Amino acid sequence: MYLKDLCEIHGASGNEEQVRTYIQEQLKSVDQPGQVDVLGNLFFERKGNGKSDKTILLLAHMDEVGLMVTNIQDDGLLAVSPVGGVDPRVLPGKRVWVGENNTPGVIGYKAIHLQKDDYKTIPNWEKIRVDIGVQKKEEAQKTVSLGDYVHFYSAFEEYENRYVGKALDDRGGCAILMALYRELPVLDYNVVFAFVVQEEIGLRGSGSTLKRYKPDAAIIVEGTTAGDNPELKKERWSTHLDNGPAISYLQSGYALDYRLFEAILAFANQKGIQYQLKGRTVGGTDGTRLAGSYFGVPCAGVNIPSRYIHSPVSVISKKDFENTKQLIADILTEEILLKALEVKV
Amino acid sequence: MKELIKKLAQVSAPSGRERKAHLAILEELEGFIDGHRFDNVGNLIVWKNGNGENKKKIIFDGHADEIGVVITHIDERGFLRIDPVGGVNPLMLLGVLMNFDGITGIVSYEAETDEDARKSLTQPSYDRLFVDIGATSHEDACKKVHIGQFGSYLSPFFDLDPMLVSKSMDDRVACAIVVQTIKETQHPYHDIYGVFAVQEEVGLLGAKVAAYDLHADIAIAVDVTAHTDTPKGNKRMDLQLGKGPAIKIKDKGSISDETIVRLLTTCAEENQIPFQYEVLVFGGTDAQGYQLTGAGIKAGTLSIPCRYVHSPHEMVHIQDVTNAVRLLKAVALKPNW
Repeated sequence: MYLKDLCEIHGASGNEEQVRTYIQEQLKSVDQPGQVDVLGNLFFERKGNGKSDKTILLLAHMDEVGLMVTNIQDDGLLAVSPVGGVDPRVLPGKRVWVGENNTPGVIGYKAIHLQKDDYKTIPNWEKIRVDIGVQKKEEAQKTVSLGDYVHFYSAFEEYENRYVGKALDDRGGCAILMALYRELPVLDYNVVFAFVVQEEIGLRGSGSTLKRYKPDAAIIVEGTTAGDNPELKKERWSTHLDNGPAISYLQSGYALDYRLFEAILAFANQKGIQYQLKGRTVGGTDGTRLAGSYFGVPCAGVNIPSRYIHSPVSVISKKDFENTKQLIADILTEEILLKALEVKV
Repeated sequence: MKELIKKLAQVSAPSGRERKAHLAILEELEGFIDGHRFDNVGNLIVWKNGNGENKKKIIFDGHADEIGVVITHIDERGFLRIDPVGGVNPLMLLGVLMNFDGITGIVSYEAETDEDARKSLTQPSYDRLFVDIGATSHEDACKKVHIGQFGSYLSPFFDLDPMLVSKSMDDRVACAIVVQTIKETQHPYHDIYGVFAVQEEVGLLGAKVAAYDLHADIAIAVDVTAHTDTPKGNKRMDLQLGKGPAIKIKDKGSISDETIVRLLTTCAEENQIPFQYEVLVFGGTDAQGYQLTGAGIKAGTLSIPCRYVHSPHEMVHIQDVTNAVRLLKAVALKPNW
C-alpha cells in the first residue's frame, strides 16, 4: 500500500531521496522512468492525446517536518533544531531515528516525580535533547554527526476508518498522485504529476516546476490541518474528519484562483460529491509559490483533512482519502479547470 | 478627478476578487489606451505606446485589490465567522459594517461574561468576532452568503474638501492616478504600461508576475503611505497630507532605485510640483515585487500620504492626488533621464 510505505519512509525537508526513490521505483513500471530536476523534484508527465496543448499540474510535496542535530554534547546527548514547523510540546517522551544509520533515540524529559510546576512551562529548543543511549561525545560520534536528520519513529496503522502515521502531510498527497498516475486514462490534455521537495521550510522546491512544464493551472494536493479538537470552538475548526476533501480559498500569501475555486464547487454541488470548505486561512502551500513565480499559475487547493499534523502521529479518514482522490480524478476527466479558465476575466 | 476616485474606491474588490475594480478601470480607460490584457493570475495590464526616439518601457502600478475579510464559518443561527484578507487588525472591525457582494453585515464580538466582553474589547481577535447579516437561521444565511465569500468595508465616500475620505483609498486612489495620468497623456514619449495588480495585500503576488512578464525599464508603484500629522502622530517619520506626493526613499520592503528617486525629483522640480520625501519605517509596496523578480526591474514608489490606512475610512488630500498625476505625466513625457 503506497500510503503505508510512504509514511514509514524518512524524508524531512532536504532529505527526500528515499521518498523520491520509492515513488520512482513504484511508478516507473507504468510507462516511463520519470524525471528528476536539479533541486530533486520528481516529475511524471502523462501526455494528452493531442487534442489540446494545455497542461494541468498536480502537485504534492515529498518532504515532512523533522529535526536536525546541531550539537553533540560531551555527555553524548544531541541538541536539535526543527526542520519545518515543529511544536516542541509534541516531542518529550517520543522515539526518533537519527541519521543515515537510523540510530534509535528518545527525546527525554524530567520524570513527573521530580517536577514541581514544570508542567506550566512549555518545553523549548534550549532544553530538548535526543538520547541515543551513550554517555560520551566520542561514542555518539561513531554513528551520528552534526547535520544529521532526526525523524519521528512511528509505525503506520489502520483503524476502522482511520489511517494513523507520521508525515501524512504530505505523503497522503503523494499517495493520491501515485494512484491517479496509475489509474487515469489518457486525456485530451497533458497532466504533470509533480512530487516536490522542501515545502515545509518555505516552499523552496516547487518554483522550478513552472519553467519546465509551463502548466496552465495546478491543483495542490495537501494534508491540511483539521484542528477539530473537542476543546476548540467548532466555529474555528479548520476541517473535520469524514466531511470530505477540503477545498481552500485563501491561504498565507495567496487567494486561490476564484475561477477554479468556483468551478470546483459548482461541479461538486452538481454531481453531489461530498466536500468541505476550509475554515481557516493560515498556513501556506506550494500554490503561493506557483501563483507568484514566473508567469504565474492559477492554483486550486484540494486537501485531505488531517489531525495532529506536524507531530509524530497524524490521523486522516480513509473515506476522506478516497474521496479526495476521486474528486481530483473527476475534476480532471471532466476538464473542470480548463473550462473554468476559458471564461475571460 | 474626485468622481473617478469615488467610483474606483467604492468598488468592493478584496484580494483575489479584483474583477469589479478592473472592469471599472477599463470602463474609464476606453478610448484612451492602445490595448489591454489580463494575465494568468488576473492582473489587468493596459498600455499606451510612446512616440519618443529613445523611448523606454515604464510601468505605473496601482494595485487593484483592497484588504477585506472572508467568511470561514456559518453557525446554526446564521452568524458568520471571518478571517482577514491582508492586514486587517481585528480592532478596526469592532462595530463596522461589511459588504459581502451586496449583503451587509455588522461585526460584533463575543461577550458571554463581563470578563469575556472586556477581553473582546481590549484584546480583539478573530476568534472573538462574528458577523451578523440579519439571518434568522443557518439556512437563511446560506441563501445570502457562502463560506469562502470575500467581503470588504462598507463605508461611504466623503468630500471634506480638500480632504477625501473613503474605504479603499488603498489603493484605488493610485488606480485613479494611473488612469488619470494615461487619460491626460495623449502622446507619451515613453511606452506606458499601467498594471492594476492583484493580491498586493496578501503578498505582492500580482506584481511579481507582472514583473516577469513585462521586461520594463522601470516600474513606479503608486501606493498610499502613512501620515504623521495627527495628534500624537508618529514621531520617527515626517509625512503630511497636502505637502505633495511623497517620493519614497525606503520602506521595509524596498529601497527605491536611485535613478527613480532622481527622475521623480527632477520632474517635480522642473514642473514646480510640490513633493516630499518619504522614509517609512515599516510597510512595503509592489516595488518590492518588481525589484526581486526575474532579473529585476529598477523600481521605486510614489506615495500618497494617507490617514487611517487599513481602517474603514482612509483620508487623502486632493492636491496630493492631482500633483501625483502631474508628476507621472512629466515622467511619461520626459525624453532623457
